[in-house]
Amino acid sequence: MNQDIPGPSPTLTSRSEVASARPREALPTSALAVSALLSRLCRTHYGAAGLIILALLVLIGVTAPLLAPFDPTRQVGESLMPPSWTHVMGTDNIGRDLFSLVLYGTRASLAIGFCAALAALVIGGTIGTLAGYRRGLTEAVLMRLAELFQTLPVIIVVLFAIALFGSSFWLLIAAVALAIWPLEARLIYGQFINLREREFVAAAIVADLSTAHIVLREILPNALPPVIVQVALDASLAILIESGLGFLGLSDANMISWGQLLFAAQDFLNAAWWMSVFPGLAICIAIIGLNLLADGLNEVVNPRAVRAAIGLAA
Amino acid sequence: MIVVVLLVFGMLQLTPGDPVQAMVGQYPVPAEFREAIERHYHLNDPFLSRLWQYFANLAHGDLGFSFQMQRPVLGLILERAPRTLMLAASGFLLGIPIGMAVGVLSATSQNPHLDRFWTTTTLVAYAIPGFWLGQLLVILFAMQLGWFPTQGMAPLVSRASGFGWFLERARYLALPAITYAIYEATRVARLMRANVIETLGQGYIVTARAKGLSRPTIIRRHVLRNSSLPVVTIMGYAFGVAMGGAVLIETVFSWPGVGLLLIEAIRARDNQVVVGVVLFVSFAVILMNLIVDLLYCALDPRIRTGS
Repeated sequence: MNQDIPGPSPTLTSRSEVASARPREALPTSALAVSALLSRLCRTHYGAAGLIILALLVLIGVTAPLLAPFDPTRQVGESLMPPSWTHVMGTDNIGRDLFSLVLYGTRASLAIGFCAALAALVIGGTIGTLAGYRRGLTEAVLMRLAELFQTLPVIIVVLFAIALFGSSFWLLIAAVALAIWPLEARLIYGQFINLREREFVAAAIVADLSTAHIVLREILPNALPPVIVQVALDASLAILIESGLGFLGLSDANMISWGQLLFAAQDFLNAAWWMSVFPGLAICIAIIGLNLLADGLNEVVNPRAVRAAIGLAA
Repeated sequence: MIVVVLLVFGMLQLTPGDPVQAMVGQYPVPAEFREAIERHYHLNDPFLSRLWQYFANLAHGDLGFSFQMQRPVLGLILERAPRTLMLAASGFLLGIPIGMAVGVLSATSQNPHLDRFWTTTTLVAYAIPGFWLGQLLVILFAMQLGWFPTQGMAPLVSRASGFGWFLERARYLALPAITYAIYEATRVARLMRANVIETLGQGYIVTARAKGLSRPTIIRRHVLRNSSLPVVTIMGYAFGVAMGGAVLIETVFSWPGVGLLLIEAIRARDNQVVVGVVLFVSFAVILMNLIVDLLYCALDPRIRTGS
């Protein structure tokens, strides 16, 4: 029997045979596959640009103590000094070096972006998987819950959570994840609904593999490609939300973040334009980087749609 | 809607913070005063009885009482809703046509450079946080050029009347509305471009072309209408969301709308108002979704049932 034709057949018993019956667009999980994904990503213009921007930002975040010319928590000059050679981006209202503050701000924004996107993926993924595989009552309850959360605007949900529980680094991540998990849940749910009817799943069931194996090793890897795109978008959304909260003065007060720099800038728009311009630029760069990455990833994992679109646009 | 109320009320019960303390401020609360307040507002009743009371009040349009402002919550929200509505409406009226025009232009353009220019512009504009754009506009147009006022929606003392009054208000509205419009326009433009590109690939466009219709006619008669439907959905939802006030934009310009009310309430730990605004917004979103469904029937004959 030809192994490329999957089907519930009694001869398909060993794991390797079942595995080979997976569709070819399956996202393999090994390191080799990740590097293959990266190299394909780099061949798209958008993806490469986004990847470079993000890599630079991560580098800046990691090496902030080395790069920053001053201690961002100390007064190092007169307050509200315009940009000069010593203070490239000027100083803020209490005489801290803005360039150092912006560099350090990279850490908080990236950390919140990635952690919140990851948390949303875990929560949304679990719920989407449960609803998509179990069906029945579980499906109805969980998906109604997701719809309920989607009715409320993201910023309102986050503000509500912050208003009630206060804000610290982890609470912020939890609040953002609470607001965006339905995006992931619905995406994964949709994937599961499609995939669970496919032949390779039937083959796995016939092969008497455990439910955990079928869900985690057979369906999940195939469900992931579009989800990866969403994770990049979620991270950019999380960074935007955090900067918004920071701007409202509702972010973690012990943290240096771009949004909080903009909150301070609001009172000095007339005296110190640099306090607003540079942190805002940093936010834009991070968001553009993540959006480009998402576009690139979309092109890699969903090549047909993009090719079709390009063909028609011409 | 009921489930939203349950969820919101449940979360409210889990919270730290003490309304009596918040009302008094940073002073110790006398015991008998605390008791009187708690009795008056039924703060110590069992959970279920308070929940029941809350639903009963909601049915009467009573959203609770702001301990901070000493006023009913519904009154506070209704006072501010028209201002938010005005801001959102002017932003949408300005932003949607611009966004649609840009989207169609960029998708149907024969010149790849033009398409690339618009795609890049919207990509960058998409990444600009609305509140930062607001700050930049304030710095440029209000501070440096002095064309517009920086904050608020009216001067403290106004002697203008008639058309002068209108112009005065318009000057205050201009910057927040422009910020809002740019924000919405980029979203519409991206969506519209994708929709138009998809529509152009449909069979009936090929048919229309084969019939010998000119390109502009096809775009006007076939593409525009079919590509606009998803925009209606998204914008309907966005308008419902906007009733919560673009919280951030209202804060930048100190625009005294629902969004600013929410922020003030959060800062003052005035939870009744926070809950009131959240309920108000979810109501607005649900209402707008309903209106969008009705609009859909009007716009898309395929959905009409019956005759």
